[in-house]
Amino acid sequence: MHIFGSRELVEAVLKKDLCTGCGACVELCPYFKSYKGKTAMLFPCTLSQGRCFAFCPKAEVDLDVLANRFWKAPYEGTPLGKYRNVLAARAGEKMENAAFQTGGTVSALMTLALKDGIIDAAALTDRNDMVAVPRLITRAEDVSGCAGSKFMAAPTLSVINRGVIQGYARMGVVGTPCQLTAIAQMKTNPLNRQDFKDAVALTVGLFCTWAVDTRKLLPLLTECIGDACIQGMDMPPPPSEIMVVDTDDGKVEIPLERIRPLVPEGCHVCPDMTSEWADVSVGVLEGEPDWNTLIIRTEAGDQLVKDACNRGYLKTKPLPAENLKHLCIAAANKKKRALIRARDQGLLNTTAKDRHSVLRLRPEILETIIDTAREE
Amino acid sequence: MSHLLEAKAGDRRLLMGNEAIARGALEADISVAAGYPGTPSSDIIESLARVAKERHLYVEWSTNEKVALEVAAAASFAGLRSICVMKQNGVNVASDFLLHLAGSGTRGGLVLVPCDDPGALSSANEGESRHFARMLEIPLLEPGDFQEAKDMIKWAFELSEEILNVVMVRSVTRLSHASGSVVFDSLPETDKTAVFRFDGPYLDPMKGPVLSLPVTIMHTRQQEKLKQAVAKFEESPFNTYIGPETPELLIISSSVCHLYSKEAIHILGLTDRVGLLKMGTTWPLPPKLMENYLGLTDNILIVEEVIPFLEENVKILAVELAPQIGIKKFFGKKDGTIPTVGEMNPDLVVTALCKILAVENDGVPEIYTRRAQELFSAGAPQREMTFCAGCPHRASFWSIHNVLQMDNRQGFVCGDIGCYSLAMLPTGFSTLKTLHSMGSGAGIASGFGKLGPFGFNQPALAVCGDSTFFHAVLPALINAVHHRSDITLVVLDNSGTAMTGFQPHPGLPVDAAGNSVPAIDVIRVCQSMGAIVRICDPFDLEQTQQTLFKLLERKGVNVLILKQICTLSPEKKAGKNFEMTVDEATCIGENCGCNQLCTRVFKCPGLIWDKQENVSRIDEVICTGCGVCASICPSGAIKNKEVA
Repeated sequence: MHIFGSRELVEAVLKKDLCTGCGACVELCPYFKSYKGKTAMLFPCTLSQGRCFAFCPKAEVDLDVLANRFWKAPYEGTPLGKYRNVLAARAGEKMENAAFQTGGTVSALMTLALKDGIIDAAALTDRNDMVAVPRLITRAEDVSGCAGSKFMAAPTLSVINRGVIQGYARMGVVGTPCQLTAIAQMKTNPLNRQDFKDAVALTVGLFCTWAVDTRKLLPLLTECIGDACIQGMDMPPPPSEIMVVDTDDGKVEIPLERIRPLVPEGCHVCPDMTSEWADVSVGVLEGEPDWNTLIIRTEAGDQLVKDACNRGYLKTKPLPAENLKHLCIAAANKKKRALIRARDQGLLNTTAKDRHSVLRLRPEILETIIDTAREE
Repeated sequence: MSHLLEAKAGDRRLLMGNEAIARGALEADISVAAGYPGTPSSDIIESLARVAKERHLYVEWSTNEKVALEVAAAASFAGLRSICVMKQNGVNVASDFLLHLAGSGTRGGLVLVPCDDPGALSSANEGESRHFARMLEIPLLEPGDFQEAKDMIKWAFELSEEILNVVMVRSVTRLSHASGSVVFDSLPETDKTAVFRFDGPYLDPMKGPVLSLPVTIMHTRQQEKLKQAVAKFEESPFNTYIGPETPELLIISSSVCHLYSKEAIHILGLTDRVGLLKMGTTWPLPPKLMENYLGLTDNILIVEEVIPFLEENVKILAVELAPQIGIKKFFGKKDGTIPTVGEMNPDLVVTALCKILAVENDGVPEIYTRRAQELFSAGAPQREMTFCAGCPHRASFWSIHNVLQMDNRQGFVCGDIGCYSLAMLPTGFSTLKTLHSMGSGAGIASGFGKLGPFGFNQPALAVCGDSTFFHAVLPALINAVHHRSDITLVVLDNSGTAMTGFQPHPGLPVDAAGNSVPAIDVIRVCQSMGAIVRICDPFDLEQTQQTLFKLLERKGVNVLILKQICTLSPEKKAGKNFEMTVDEATCIGENCGCNQLCTRVFKCPGLIWDKQENVSRIDEVICTGCGVCASICPSGAIKNKEVA
């Protein structure tokens, strides 16, 4: 076991700009807090092992441990991770009046899950002023209020941690790959606590290439949009090279070359584009802005999608083979880039006691990923 | 009736040094007393305030030490006797006026009493007021015991009126705050009338305008006054010698150090070999008297605290007197025989004497040492300095610290002098990152807040107390507003000058003697400067933290007033707002999820860690029922029930 405490977490993750602000360590205890997208330790905790470290998606994530737990097989390093099916999907007629971005698949699934009581609360990400903030909602009609990409880290998992204390037992979460990795680690009960209960019943993962450090983005947003109020954010697919910010004062385009330097190091060493540890993963569908790509990974995910289709919350159609191919290439390239970077920085499979790894995976898998991924 | 007035002439009473000084002032028939609170000096003004009505005195706690000296000077200019009291660094504050006052001279007797704090027992410095006497050319007296503390004050008033200038009488902690027997003299019964005369000839010291100009004439006059004082010092009863006619070694000492010297001579049985010259008039030293005693022997040891003030002055005289007294060998601070920091004590003098005279010290009996060691190892537990149970400062710094950590821009707090100075320690979560004189936190923050053009982007905060706000923060705050500095000043308003014993200040509707006076409103003062002002109860952690977050986003000068009366204040001491309990079943204890936040980090003395049961408990005797620990408990195990 490579589980340590809060001091090591600060040294190994926060101080190295590896923290993506996912919120996994927040609200577990009084020591870690998140404010404006940044996680801070208020006081050092003296425990040698803590859930803060154990849950962190950037501290000693052993991919084999997770894969064995979820897929009953070692980690294979395939571009999209384990899945049952990949489809094109969009919100169905039941979602007609709701506001959402692109296909609305995520909103549709969470709405149904709340309505049917599959989950008793949903951890989503809202926006407060310019900052992404987490929200734990219990009413289906509040889902659409949180719709839309934020492109910046939110401590969404903090409301899961708080929800556990508040007694929620079947929470759903919509999160980025790092957040879903943290949830996966939570589910393994890494500290073997007697009082452990898996309080997360549904995980919907988002496709993510990177997110932006909120603190660094805020001055840029202020510069570009002034006092206007943000209503949405989007990043059109390549080769557009812009972020579009939709405000009450019109659309503002920010060149990606100004955004990319604001990405934290933690995103650059992330090998997961499609949220491989989710029940279902959702992203854009290239060339069809009203549809999503939907990856179904687990039985629970499969059942939810089926119910959603049957009851008019979701429409699906087969994913064109070309789209799947492009998705795999993009995901494989992210894996390759991230793992090379992590390896070169000494953040993989470390052996020295005082040097913590971001990730652990079998060397032969690492080699395969680095060798086989290529632009096709 | 105050015990200072009860006794008759000839009665012997046990008095604290500061009370002896106050009684001396009463026997000298003063009319006005002014000062600013500061340990170890505060009891003098307090003692005088208690008898203000009966003795027809005007007594005030002034806004700061400079104003106090100005108030006392006005009485002197109007022909009354007045005393001005402060701690050592107060003289620094008053010194600009003191420089000019020493130049203009005084009329009614004016005695300035600084109480120094060698060893910094209650200070953030070991400042020395003695040097101001030399630097500003005024006479300096140092009482050596409790009787002298009273008698010397009377004598100082006479001297002041003889030379028409201010006289400094310097006390130290171990004199001010220890007690000894004092024989009282009578209290005069006189009618006094205050008149300021200014229409006489320009240079008439009693009837003309009071000025330090023309400088060369007035300066010459001031130095002549000092010579007059020296002439009086030659005959002063406060300079005494005990010892053989031809000692092997002469100790020259002053203040409480002469008592340590006396004890050391006694312990070592050296009364036949060592003489002790106790100087009460330490600046300027009387040369004829010094010539007599320096002539007794060739070996001189100077025993005093902190900086070698007496030592240097004696050495200068010894050089001047060398043709008469010959070459001397000196022991003291310069050669390392006596330390230059911290307090003196008899042991240090014993060590010095053993070294100089090559005598053996039997030291303390072996059995004493052994028993002391036994007791020590059984020992009292190590204790850190801490805020009191229920102290509003603990709650205030909890919020400030946590907000700055979460804000995560390397924000910091500049501090100054008050109970809240402890926030440099874990009890205040090590939140203070600079600590200097009163008001300096605000001034330093004002400077930090202008470093933006040099890439500085850390939030700069300052804290001050309510009394300090008036004392020295106002100019700094005005500076910050005027120069568009970006700072947040947190006024820790606990409704009194708490650290020194709840003396009133301009923000309160009562004065030193208990009279009703108009209170100055901190909020309106700050608003009128153009600062944004917010007021919170520091016990409401959530509201305080949300308010502070918002202020940290604002450019310009923000003032957050955290208002909660000091837990030890007479008004509050009796009652509890909440009855606190711990639900043992809910307490997470040392497990992941809490790890003793309340007893390991928050550390209010009203909380106890029960190691056996792995739960926190409330110490009902110490707990003041502020309720704050219930707000920090992550599991809700600490519960507060409102006391009806």
